[in-house]
Amino acid sequence: MVNSGDTSVTPAVSVNGLSSGYGSVAVLHDVEFTVGHEIFAVLGANGAGKTTLLTTLAGLIPAFSGSIAYHGTDVTNLAASESARLGVGYVPQEAAVFPDLSVLENLTVGGMIGTRPHEERLEEVFETFPDLRSKLDLRAGNLSGGESRMVACGRALMQDPTVLLLDEPTAGLSPLYLELFFEKVAEIHRTRGVSIVLTEQNATQALGIADRVMVLSLGVGSEPMSADAVTTDLLREGYQI
Amino acid sequence: MNLDWLDAFLIFGAFKVIEIMGLGLLVHLQLGLTRVANFGVVGFWGLGLYAFGVAYLKVDWPFGDVYQFLICAAIATIVAAAAGLVVGWLISDLDDDGTLVGTLGFATIVVILATTQQGLTGGALGLGGLGFPYDFGRVKTHEFTWLLITTAVVVLIFVYAWRVHRTPHGRLLIAVGANEALARSLGKSATAARLRMMMVTSGAMGLLGAMHGVMVRSLEINSLDVSVTLAALAALILGGTARVFGAVVGVLLTVALFDIVIQFYIPIPDGWNTQALPVAREAVFGAAIVLMLIFRPQGLLGQMRRPALMRRLHGDW
Repeated sequence: MVNSGDTSVTPAVSVNGLSSGYGSVAVLHDVEFTVGHEIFAVLGANGAGKTTLLTTLAGLIPAFSGSIAYHGTDVTNLAASESARLGVGYVPQEAAVFPDLSVLENLTVGGMIGTRPHEERLEEVFETFPDLRSKLDLRAGNLSGGESRMVACGRALMQDPTVLLLDEPTAGLSPLYLELFFEKVAEIHRTRGVSIVLTEQNATQALGIADRVMVLSLGVGSEPMSADAVTTDLLREGYQI
Repeated sequence: MNLDWLDAFLIFGAFKVIEIMGLGLLVHLQLGLTRVANFGVVGFWGLGLYAFGVAYLKVDWPFGDVYQFLICAAIATIVAAAAGLVVGWLISDLDDDGTLVGTLGFATIVVILATTQQGLTGGALGLGGLGFPYDFGRVKTHEFTWLLITTAVVVLIFVYAWRVHRTPHGRLLIAVGANEALARSLGKSATAARLRMMMVTSGAMGLLGAMHGVMVRSLEINSLDVSVTLAALAALILGGTARVFGAVVGVLLTVALFDIVIQFYIPIPDGWNTQALPVAREAVFGAAIVLMLIFRPQGLLGQMRRPALMRRLHGDW
């Protein structure tokens, strides 16, 4: 794990004074954090701006002000396709698969960039999500919520990302899938060396795998802190409950 | 070639069937794969028709018939493709409603230009003088040969559409159509993929327009009618927008039914062919669109069969 305060290592993600939103409505206000080689969880209640933060980081909506850098390269307002080419994988919370494509096709569209052979990357995805191997021919639109989330995650992994943006990956999942998914996220970080930015409402589970945490409240981010240092009072304050 | 057994009107009816089938296949790539709702099909087709006609008739080409046709057809294709690129770029940020209005607006501009630029196009009177790029002596032989050549072009369009389904570009188009924001995060430009598709399909529509010009041997403003768009869309929606065979099945059940079966094989009263039947045809096509969208929006052939395709391509993984 890299301590974000260690200035000798270029952070995987650097966000400085980031404000963004939709149209003229600002949702995020002056958010700042860095992510090293770690799992960084962004916690917050509904409407806190978690999805807006990740879609801005993915380049899908423009930043109003501030900057975003991946491994030291400024990508502020770079097209999403360019960010992806720099190694950013993105898994949205909703509509995370292409429903008309089969599972195999959903995975292969993730592998349109990069130079490693598809077969090699697919095998690695199957190692992480073995259940997908038997569902390759299925239409992705017919999968259950948990299966869809696996396909979406697998597709992002096919991009060979160095940074993975996961937007509430366990939202709406059954308790069985929920636990499995958090285990998979930790495994992806551990075995592939991918830096992960994860948004979650489920604070307890997220704190179980995260190295550091930022609480987002009405678009304003807290000072990032070690997951071990998070207290119930801090969360209550952040969630405004 | 002795074609006495063949009715000249039947050749023209078959030509219409083949032509609309080609347009339907191209609309399939736009609407079925990429979800670009092009209501201006007649605009791209008509631009090709008029670009071909004007280039053919207004330029003193120093070549024989074949080369003159090939160059003018290439001009028609390039002009329509360029229009597809520009229109595609203009509508790239619009939603479905905006795309419908934008493409319809483009078709209207083409019709207005064809009507008002009399010096070039002949305006409402039109221009005659287009011809076949060969001379076998008999008009019927010319037309039948042209029907075969057009069929070959439409077969090529079919093969292209068939192959697109099996390529990474095709998968990207389907991804862009289903969820453009997500597709943009895959590392490929969704806009570039859509513009490429618009350019290729619009160019092919222009080529079909040029081939129509050769068959009718004239530029007529009445040919730039909404019925061209309606026929292609009705057929595709009836057959199934997402399937390559959707356009083929749909055209057989609509255009072929009216322009061949009813016109030639059903005993209908004199005069109906020129008056009642065309009106009934439009009404039935419109009704077919409405009924299919209500009761079976995926069309007769249903959704894409990607799982079956994947099994064929990859076998058991």
